[in-house]
Amino acid sequence: MSHPLRLTVNDGEYLVIAAAGAYLLDVLRDDLGLQGTKEACAEGECGSCTVLIDGEPVDSCIYFAAQATGKRITTVEGLGRNGAHPVQRAFAALGAVQCGFCTPGFVVAAAALLQRSPNPGVDEIREALAGNLCRCTGYNNIVAAVLAAAGSQDGDA
Amino acid sequence: MTAPAPDTVGRSVGRLDGGAKVTGRYEYGVDASRPGMLWARLARSPHAHARILSVDTTAALAVPGVRVVLTGADTLGYLASRYVRDEPLLALDRVRYPGEPVAAVAADTQEAAEAACRLVRVEYEPLPVISSVEEALADDATVIHPDWASYWVSPIIRRPGGNVVSHASLRRGDTAALFESADHVFEDTFEVPMVHQASLEGRVAIAEVDDAGVVHVWSSHQYPFGLRQDISDILHIPLGKIRVTVTGVGGGFGGKLYAGAEPYCIILAQRTGRPVKLRYTREEEMIATSPRMGATVRLRTAVAADGTLLAREGWIDYDSGAYSESSPGVVSVGLLTLAGPYRWQALSIDTRAIYTNKAGCGSYRAPGAPQAVFAGESQLDRIARELGIDPLRLRLHNAVRDGDLGPTGQVLNNVSLVETLQAAADRIDWDSAGAGHLRGKGLSCTWWTTTGMPSSAYVRMDEDGTFVLITGATEIGTGAVTAGVAQICAGELGIDPADLKIVSADTGTTPYDFGAQGSRTLVQAGNAAIAAAEDLKSQMFDIAAAKLGCQAEELEMSDGEIRHTNDPELSLSVSDVARLGGTRGGLLGRGSYEQPPTPYDADSVQGAMIGAFNIPSFATHACEVSVDGATGEVTLDRYVVAQDVGRVVNPRYCEGQVTGGAVQGIGQAMFEEIIHRGGHVMNPNFTDYKLPTLSDVPHIETILVEVPSDSGPYGAKGVGEQAIIGPPAAIANAVRDATGHPIQRLPITAERVWQSLRGPGTAS
Repeated sequence: MSHPLRLTVNDGEYLVIAAAGAYLLDVLRDDLGLQGTKEACAEGECGSCTVLIDGEPVDSCIYFAAQATGKRITTVEGLGRNGAHPVQRAFAALGAVQCGFCTPGFVVAAAALLQRSPNPGVDEIREALAGNLCRCTGYNNIVAAVLAAAGSQDGDA
Repeated sequence: MTAPAPDTVGRSVGRLDGGAKVTGRYEYGVDASRPGMLWARLARSPHAHARILSVDTTAALAVPGVRVVLTGADTLGYLASRYVRDEPLLALDRVRYPGEPVAAVAADTQEAAEAACRLVRVEYEPLPVISSVEEALADDATVIHPDWASYWVSPIIRRPGGNVVSHASLRRGDTAALFESADHVFEDTFEVPMVHQASLEGRVAIAEVDDAGVVHVWSSHQYPFGLRQDISDILHIPLGKIRVTVTGVGGGFGGKLYAGAEPYCIILAQRTGRPVKLRYTREEEMIATSPRMGATVRLRTAVAADGTLLAREGWIDYDSGAYSESSPGVVSVGLLTLAGPYRWQALSIDTRAIYTNKAGCGSYRAPGAPQAVFAGESQLDRIARELGIDPLRLRLHNAVRDGDLGPTGQVLNNVSLVETLQAAADRIDWDSAGAGHLRGKGLSCTWWTTTGMPSSAYVRMDEDGTFVLITGATEIGTGAVTAGVAQICAGELGIDPADLKIVSADTGTTPYDFGAQGSRTLVQAGNAAIAAAEDLKSQMFDIAAAKLGCQAEELEMSDGEIRHTNDPELSLSVSDVARLGGTRGGLLGRGSYEQPPTPYDADSVQGAMIGAFNIPSFATHACEVSVDGATGEVTLDRYVVAQDVGRVVNPRYCEGQVTGGAVQGIGQAMFEEIIHRGGHVMNPNFTDYKLPTLSDVPHIETILVEVPSDSGPYGAKGVGEQAIIGPPAAIANAVRDATGHPIQRLPITAERVWQSLRGPGTAS
């Protein structure tokens, strides 16, 4: 059984026909072609599929698309409307990216953190991003990039 | 390559793929698609070991949207595994692990393919299950591969029979006499379970067959040229009719070095005439792809009263699972790493890979090494403790130095173990007084290889003077290609790395490379890029010299200009040369590099596919832990790695390899274990298989030591794998220092530490 859903993604309005029980991740990737958001575990453990719902990070692989109607959805493609978001620039510049598969989830989660807490300490960053798995970097440079982005915030969040 | 390093080398320049990755535009294997593409899915065995009596695909074929269902009968003679061809693409008469593919479906949608797999009816007759190495080696054990003698086998492999895949041995010196006369003999046994690479992107591939029968494969893979050879060997397709293009790779760590999803895509594409995509789920990754082998390590070490290591006897039985994949190569690594980077008068080591009814194991970053080093370095701390010698001093006393011989007789040069030991010990304040009750410090030392084998590159100059590096090397995330090799190549060309374009990892367009394995890319592909840049430059200088009326040898190139070395006014821009060059049909520099094999005493080993470490490098790990006496919980307070990288090309990505490797190693040390019951994986997901998160690990402190090699670019050595080896022993030694109790089985969980606190020698 499919239903029409009206979704607001990255400030754009979309009408999609989605199966009942379709997850937001699959609608974003398969119906809207927003493939930046990734699936790695499919059960809400790794954070690769993180998107923002009204500014709050959620695991889109276990979040029903139907739950998102009437809410503001932000994906990695929607960060940084005037060029890259400071978090994205810092991740690229400071070695926080290796294979990059976890990166969209991390930058989205980190952008939400900075929105909520513009100058987080190391412990706060570690706690806020503990739900995102990275298998490559060992996390050092991810923490460093979020700290640097906080220091360079230009209101482009 | 001893030429002076250009000024691009040694700087943390950004990687060329960074922008695409942070914005979500980078295309991975999971993102790729082809017009008219079908989806594949594999029906898998629910049994660990069973005879197949019948397979009925009628119901599966009746599912709307299903285009084809193939079974073992359709894939006769299609055998995988590179060194012992023991793995049927689809099981024919028996299954040997839970999750083994028995049928392959291609359908219009993923849902239809999945539904069809559930409807493949297979009648099984269960066979006795071999769930451990011990059971596999019992005299009356069921033989998992009764037809082994009929398999194609790589000539070097030695095997006594039964459930042994391969057996490697090392004999040097008179161990018996040294054990007889030694002041002390220590004997220990260690257990290491299987762990998984757990790359966040799993295996995924697309195959398409054109009208001429040419197969084009897109795959998230580490070694496209090896994959092309695998496909040719498995499916009997001529090499020249196969093209492999590597997509973006969402992590590899050794798990994407061999054929995986690709052959299934190809046979389904051949049958349907449509492109076919196969993507493994996380559960399929965890139950049916090639993890790191588990191991039982037993070792005896003869030591003099002053702590001088004399001789070691060792036995490693690696659990290969039901198929061999890379285990015949990995067993030989066990010989070198169980000896460790120490001076020995005699060694006698035997390492075997053993078949069991679990998923076949493969390569995972520094394959074979963490198991051996956990044992060897843990025992060193026992020796130090019982002889009353400081563990740091014991290691310094026995460490290999320049000119020493390695375990198989290779001459060791540019040795840096002592430097790394001292650097790590200084950073962790090794000599400061004990940190207090239930706090402890630990050390471990490692050595590792920089794999050789060929790399080739072209450097092309386009009509407008743009430079393009065309390399067969694969960027799997390390930055070795899009940062390191790019910096090297750009530096040789005198341009900003950001201005270099790269085409890589496509057997249809790029020259051969031995792949992203063995910590080799920066060194070998870097040397090839230097050679190609030099070839291009010499062609450009010939053209410029003719135009300027001077000798080519008098010219140099930087910042887009070719200048006379003594008369800077005599110059020509690169774009001018490009236009001149264009009239000659364009310019293409070519470079190939292959290091001669490292000599060693070939008589000292048998059955070893790898007999020496090429451009060996060394590292020391040091850590500090605190243990909760009530719960056994271990907190990693500090973690330090001092690693020799020869020459730092890009400090940030070099450190990134060390920190990333260390955290994977910490995962193996403290959290990760594939838990089996009767061959079945009990934790096939990230909820129950625990990867380290930001809340589990401290900031990793890195010290990059630079003792240059003779043949790496500007002295560089391999970096990628080594840091994963040290953590289990360093942490076990720190826990032992804190509690007084040894830990001889991984992972070092709170429960295991709690048990050790409650009784001497009760750690299990």
